[in-house]
Amino acid sequence: MEMRKRIGIVFFGVAVALVALAIRLVWVQFVMGEELRQKAYATRFRNIEVKAKRGIIYDAKGRPLAISVSTDSFYAIPAEVKRSKREKEIAEQVSKVLGLDQEKILELITKRQAFVWIQRHTPEEKAKALKSLTLPATKEFRETKGLPGIKYVEEPERFYPKGKLLANVLGFAGIDNQGLEGIEKTYDKVLSGISGTIMVEFDNKGQEIPDALQKYIPPQDGNSIYLTIDETIQYIVERELDEIMKLRNPKKAGAIVMDPQTGRILAMAMRNTFDPNDYSNYEQSNRRNSLISDAYEPGSTFKTVTMSGALDEGIVKLTDRFYCGGFIQVGNRKVRCWKSSHGSQSFIEGVQNSCNPVFITVGLREGVDVFYRYLEGFGFGKKTGIELPGEFTGILVSKKLAKEADIYLATMAMGQANAVTPLQLVTACAAMANEGKLMKPQIVQEIRDREGNLVKTIEPEVVRQVIAPETARQVMSILESVVSEGTGKNAYLEGYRVGGKTGTAQKVIPGGRYSTSEYIGSFLGVAPVNDPRMVCLVVVDSPQGVYYGGQVAAPAFKNIMRDGLRYLQVQAQINPEKITGNKQKTRELPSLLGMDISKAIKVLSNYKLKAEVVGKGTTVKAQLPLAGTKVVEDSKVVLYSSIPAKGAEPETVVVPDFTGKNMAEVKELAGMLNLNFEIQGSGEVVRQEPEPGKQIPLGSKISIYMESRVEDALQPIGP
Amino acid sequence: MRLKKGRPDLLIFFVTMLLLAIGIVMVFSASYYDTLDKDPYYYLRKQLTWGLLGLVAMLVMMKIDYFRLKPYVNLGFGIALIMLIVVLFFEPINGARRWINLGFTRIQPSEIMKLCMVFFIAKGLSKRGSNIKDLVAGVGPYLVFLGVVGALIMMEPDLGTTLVIAGTTGVLLIAAGLSLGHCFFLSLTGVAGVGGLILMDPTRINRIIGYWDPWSHAGKEGYQLINSLYALGSGGFFGMGLGNSRQKLDYLPEQHTDFIFAILGEELGFIGAILVVLLFFIFAWRGYRIALTCPESFGCLLAVGITTMIVLQAFVNMGVVTGLLPVTGIALPFISYGGSSLLITMLGVGTLLNISRYSHSP
Repeated sequence: MEMRKRIGIVFFGVAVALVALAIRLVWVQFVMGEELRQKAYATRFRNIEVKAKRGIIYDAKGRPLAISVSTDSFYAIPAEVKRSKREKEIAEQVSKVLGLDQEKILELITKRQAFVWIQRHTPEEKAKALKSLTLPATKEFRETKGLPGIKYVEEPERFYPKGKLLANVLGFAGIDNQGLEGIEKTYDKVLSGISGTIMVEFDNKGQEIPDALQKYIPPQDGNSIYLTIDETIQYIVERELDEIMKLRNPKKAGAIVMDPQTGRILAMAMRNTFDPNDYSNYEQSNRRNSLISDAYEPGSTFKTVTMSGALDEGIVKLTDRFYCGGFIQVGNRKVRCWKSSHGSQSFIEGVQNSCNPVFITVGLREGVDVFYRYLEGFGFGKKTGIELPGEFTGILVSKKLAKEADIYLATMAMGQANAVTPLQLVTACAAMANEGKLMKPQIVQEIRDREGNLVKTIEPEVVRQVIAPETARQVMSILESVVSEGTGKNAYLEGYRVGGKTGTAQKVIPGGRYSTSEYIGSFLGVAPVNDPRMVCLVVVDSPQGVYYGGQVAAPAFKNIMRDGLRYLQVQAQINPEKITGNKQKTRELPSLLGMDISKAIKVLSNYKLKAEVVGKGTTVKAQLPLAGTKVVEDSKVVLYSSIPAKGAEPETVVVPDFTGKNMAEVKELAGMLNLNFEIQGSGEVVRQEPEPGKQIPLGSKISIYMESRVEDALQPIGP
Repeated sequence: MRLKKGRPDLLIFFVTMLLLAIGIVMVFSASYYDTLDKDPYYYLRKQLTWGLLGLVAMLVMMKIDYFRLKPYVNLGFGIALIMLIVVLFFEPINGARRWINLGFTRIQPSEIMKLCMVFFIAKGLSKRGSNIKDLVAGVGPYLVFLGVVGALIMMEPDLGTTLVIAGTTGVLLIAAGLSLGHCFFLSLTGVAGVGGLILMDPTRINRIIGYWDPWSHAGKEGYQLINSLYALGSGGFFGMGLGNSRQKLDYLPEQHTDFIFAILGEELGFIGAILVVLLFFIFAWRGYRIALTCPESFGCLLAVGITTMIVLQAFVNMGVVTGLLPVTGIALPFISYGGSSLLITMLGVGTLLNISRYSHSP
């Protein structure tokens, strides 16, 4: 039958079509399956970045200078906000808590975007309040859990607990935790870590899918950095700079302290400065680290370089004699000395006097080639390679130009014509203090991971031997004499052997001429000269009133050295040859424990020390300072006594004043007086309970509150 | 009549019930997320209602002897034709006038016409069986009717349904004995006509572009196909599990209607998709077998028409979803959401089952 055949054909056609369909399914679901699945996956998943916690920046002793704190950042998913149909209420609630304009919030959270930030790094209290918000039940809607579509993520935020301290070195990190300046910038890669991601599945409207797949790749927190900076020394330096700012009102001031034996920077500070927690509210100029980024003509401090080269080459001997008539003729020009005339003087006296004709003569004797060899040997004209952004090379007079006329070499020899950075100068001086070995300035000494495991140690690096060790020692002793006998007297520090050089330079003003009213006063020095621990340069730019380096910079230098050396527990030593008549003598304090009070007072008076008795006892139970401490004459020693253990009344003791004492002193004193104590904090005592002078039973407990002060490790010497 | 009544074809019955069940489950799964914030059970409820109505309709049609319907065929065709005209006066929905709004529900005249056309052509061809070799006198009138019906439906417009009706009519003509030469000529004419219709409308051109190279036009023309392929590809062999489709999350448009097969392939995998293909294959096999075993030509052609109508539509739909054919909006019988379509399909199956009761062993 015709029709049967035709139906067979039709069925065959249908079968072929369905088989084709089956083959197509195999193709799409197997052969192409994986590829299609991946593509579908990619369109559905969105990555939300989870910021890694930025590593901590510590000082050399592990005290935190920059930390990361977790803050909450709030965002909205507009699609979810709109879906709730209560966007106005949401905007109202949010704006109330954040104190922002309601209309603007409404506009923001209903934007046609998948994601909008409402506020980042929201303060803790506001964040807490925001998180607890709900929409109340109304006729139409149920009460909500939280605010629909309003979410938050934890974002780490940089916090600088010490505020302005070390700000110009630390730099700061921006809102996205990226290092923008200073150490934060150079070590951004180390500190920032690796961001993690939350991969969240979204539907095509940009809404998070209920029970969506989520993938979390945790962030890898940044490593921590241990600087060579010592917070205590830094604090001392900044305190001194503040003092200079107050006293002299200069345009700028700065100081660097370096450990000459390693090249490690112990302190580096600038005024003006800024608060990295609030960096955007400060001028760009406040954030600049001029100590490495700006060069100046250093003036007499640079004579140390001239001198080093000449001594190393044997061109001049300490005893060579020079004559200063107030000026020197160089070619057809007269170069003045800073004083009318120094007359006849030895080389060493010339240095002490900072006499320009002496140095010009020496410099010209060296000649251009020798002079430049040492100039370059000490690292001038090149970056020191410190790991801070924006280092400047300085500007040297070209060798070619210097050979054309003697005046260039003459002015260079006295520290003018060449522009150097303060860091270059400190580094050069450190080489003189380090037996002639130039060290690379170092600011970071260790990198550790979050758990404190060592990742990398940065070892001190010797750049080159610039001058012979003997020359270096000669330079040191000359510099010491400058302080004890010469222009650097204001830096004289009793008990320590200090060497140094003043510098006063006319400022170069735009146009290349020397200013007649603006000066840069500075002081560059070392202590102790026989075993240098600190090299320090203090630079004061355009002070008001007096401007000589010996007056505006040397006192700060002296204070920095005094507190710094004590902090470093460098024992003060008496060098009788160097102590001039009016200087006070220091004595080592004997132990007075167990002595009758009257006898103890007698002993002290033999030592030319005053005594102050605390308590009504008859014997010395404790003394302050402790035995063995070096004290200067006329200082006061406190003797603590107690009531003898007799009589009907319970034994009592007068509470001593612990204020300002360190841990060891507190222990000793309390032990002597049979008092128990409880210490909170560390450093030095700031408060105690009960108050001093009260009578309390022996064995009572005293609560002592300590705080870390800068002077925490200082051994008190005299008043 | 002298025919003896037997048992209906159980296999067709079971295949239908299975497809219907799969459909209800898939409509719920595919529509659930889209209606989550209003009423996630909305489509489930409606599909269940229509499914039950369809079941009743099928059972009723199973009871009514198909040849008793013969006198009403012309009337039904006439009413359907009028409805196709009436529908053009209704407000368009999504740019097309496909629905007559009765207030409580909407009906789709083109769906009704689909079944009526099968009845109409089967009746006609069974009367003048010998005349079929004559292109003008025998085949001509049907081509005229097809032209009128096709033109009316294209005015809505609805190319998919037109193609299904045209295809079904063609198959009926072939089954009735259309000469191969005429068949070739008419096929060419049909292809040219479809080509013309495509060129007339930029939307259709875009769909061809999207079909030809979806990846280069992923944002627009290829969007729907690509997301359909994403769904099928994500399904793999075993699927992501019932209810776990991701493409239904607003990525794939028409996920519970024309593109439900993609969601099915994503959730139930190749296993589920090939099962559906297999069920339609069984349906075709049993349907054409009913035709072959039907002792008289009206029932035979009716069985061929109904089977073709359902299977052709299924093939076109699945072909579109898998990218085998260019995109055209057409429902997957039994499975896609849609009342009129389901009811008409079930009425057809009921008729088919009734015809099967009169089969004789070949």
